Amino acid sequence: MLDIATYESERRITGALVLAVLLAVMSLLFVALFPSIASSGADLDAYMKSLPPALQTAFGASGAFSIATIEGFLAVELYQFFWVLMLGIYAAYLAGGLIAGDVERDRMDVLLAAPITRHRVVVEKFLSLVPVVIALNIVVAAAVYAGVLAIGESVPLADLAVAHLLSIPYLLACGAIGLVLSVVFDTSDVAKRGGLGAIFGLFLLETVSASADLDWLGAVSPTRYYDPTAILVRSEYDWTGGLILLAGTVVLVAASAWWFRRKDIA
Amino acid sequence: MSAIETTGLTKYYGDTLGIEDLSLSVREGEVFGFLGPNGAGKTTAIRTLLGFISPTDGTATVLGRDATDEAELIEAKRRVGYLPSNPGFDEGVTGRRLIRYHAALKSDERSDELLDLFDPPVEREIGEYSTGNRQKLALVLTFMHDPDLVVMDEPTSGLDPLMQERLYEFVDEECDRGTTFFFSSHVLSEVRRICDRVGIIRDGRLVTVEGVEELLDRSGKRVRVGVEGWLDPAEFDLPGVHDLDVDSERGDASFMFTGEYDDLLDHLRAYSVRDLDVEEAPLEDVFMKFYDGEAASESDDTDPATGTPPKASSTGGENDA
Repeated sequence: MLDIATYESERRITGALVLAVLLAVMSLLFVALFPSIASSGADLDAYMKSLPPALQTAFGASGAFSIATIEGFLAVELYQFFWVLMLGIYAAYLAGGLIAGDVERDRMDVLLAAPITRHRVVVEKFLSLVPVVIALNIVVAAAVYAGVLAIGESVPLADLAVAHLLSIPYLLACGAIGLVLSVVFDTSDVAKRGGLGAIFGLFLLETVSASADLDWLGAVSPTRYYDPTAILVRSEYDWTGGLILLAGTVVLVAASAWWFRRKDIA
Repeated sequence: MSAIETTGLTKYYGDTLGIEDLSLSVREGEVFGFLGPNGAGKTTAIRTLLGFISPTDGTATVLGRDATDEAELIEAKRRVGYLPSNPGFDEGVTGRRLIRYHAALKSDERSDELLDLFDPPVEREIGEYSTGNRQKLALVLTFMHDPDLVVMDEPTSGLDPLMQERLYEFVDEECDRGTTFFFSSHVLSEVRRICDRVGIIRDGRLVTVEGVEELLDRSGKRVRVGVEGWLDPAEFDLPGVHDLDVDSERGDASFMFTGEYDDLLDHLRAYSVRDLDVEEAPLEDVFMKFYDGEAASESDDTDPATGTPPKASSTGGENDA
């Protein structure tokens, strides 16, 4: 069992490690900039407060904490933007190619000629994303922690670990959204760009709904259930949110498998 | 038991017809060629049999298992090999890795032997493969679990003549071991070379199913005769002569002949024959009768309800065997 997942993740892991190293280097640059920003005397908090409320929410900067602290800085500059938005988009984009890419390039015929269920194909292809997501988290978490120590600052290790741990269900949920698009569309590009757009749209929806009194509207967005800022700045761990994301992921993967089983492979 | 059995198999894509009312039976151990012009529905039929698309109507069994039931078809697929016309592979993996992957999915009985035979460059990444090498790798993947039934879609596309011949010999050997083949083709020489029976499909409907030999016999021989002196076309208006073409000045006649040789030789005794050439009808001509005949009668062949298009049967009647 898991032959498909093993094969698929094996193919993906090199790319994932390259991305992880690039993100780690970028994180180190951010962290290395922190001392000069913190000591520059510029009133970053005042700058943040001068932004429109929606933008403040988008950056996770509610004004309740200072971004001149290392936690606040990491949360706003690194996690809120790169982890929540960019990596969420990456996960959905990657997942968008999982099924549609094989159908489009006639690889699905070769695969389905083997005695395997379509359900298994969908589930295992999705599972192949798990090692990718975990590898990204381990490499970048290690780099951030080492960087913070290197500049003579400190963040609670538990907060950093949980910020990364809870990002796993978040990124998988984003991937599951991409997977749905990947079984619905036969063109890999459409599914991938759809995934990209969907995550960006949901991110905006959650941001806008939070500041526009339409709070319930943002409940469909995975970004609602993962808040690295709360974890890093206030040590608030939203385990329920993590479980909701996992449950949502299971539902979306099951729906994808159901749809793919009924589908004609052109 | 038939290796493949379809009854009234029909597939519409929305309003577009893929195949209609396809009923055929492929016997165990035979090589069955599935022929038709592009867009006739060959690939639709194959994809339905493999469960890639579900039929609008009708039934199909593969090795006795219901092709529309995923669990049943999977049982059949353990013993089925499929060679797509344009097999898709991940570009970034080596042939060796892909073979290992498929071994995990469907078992590996004989990949070493097949690698000796077809010899794709398995240590290289597939992205570097030529079309021929991709096809060779696809052949290894198709046969590695030692299937009882092999479905091939245009199997020799992209193979050089040497590899084609190697494949034909391989099919012969596999056939001797009892493997059933069902394959689509438009390469008529290959049909002639390896098929026991052919089914001809046109516009999604099965026009005829026949043994290759019978099909050729029924079309007769192509005869070219040259005689001394002037030749009147009326002189060759004999039973069994079709498509007569006479050059009176030169004394040349050529025609398709389905009658008795003795009658023809008796008739020729009245001439001083300078040249006589009797050869098997090219398969192309045989198939053109099925394709073209109907293309010509396209306008009056619009009733989709009729199972067999009219011209096919009239072709048969004309060439009474």
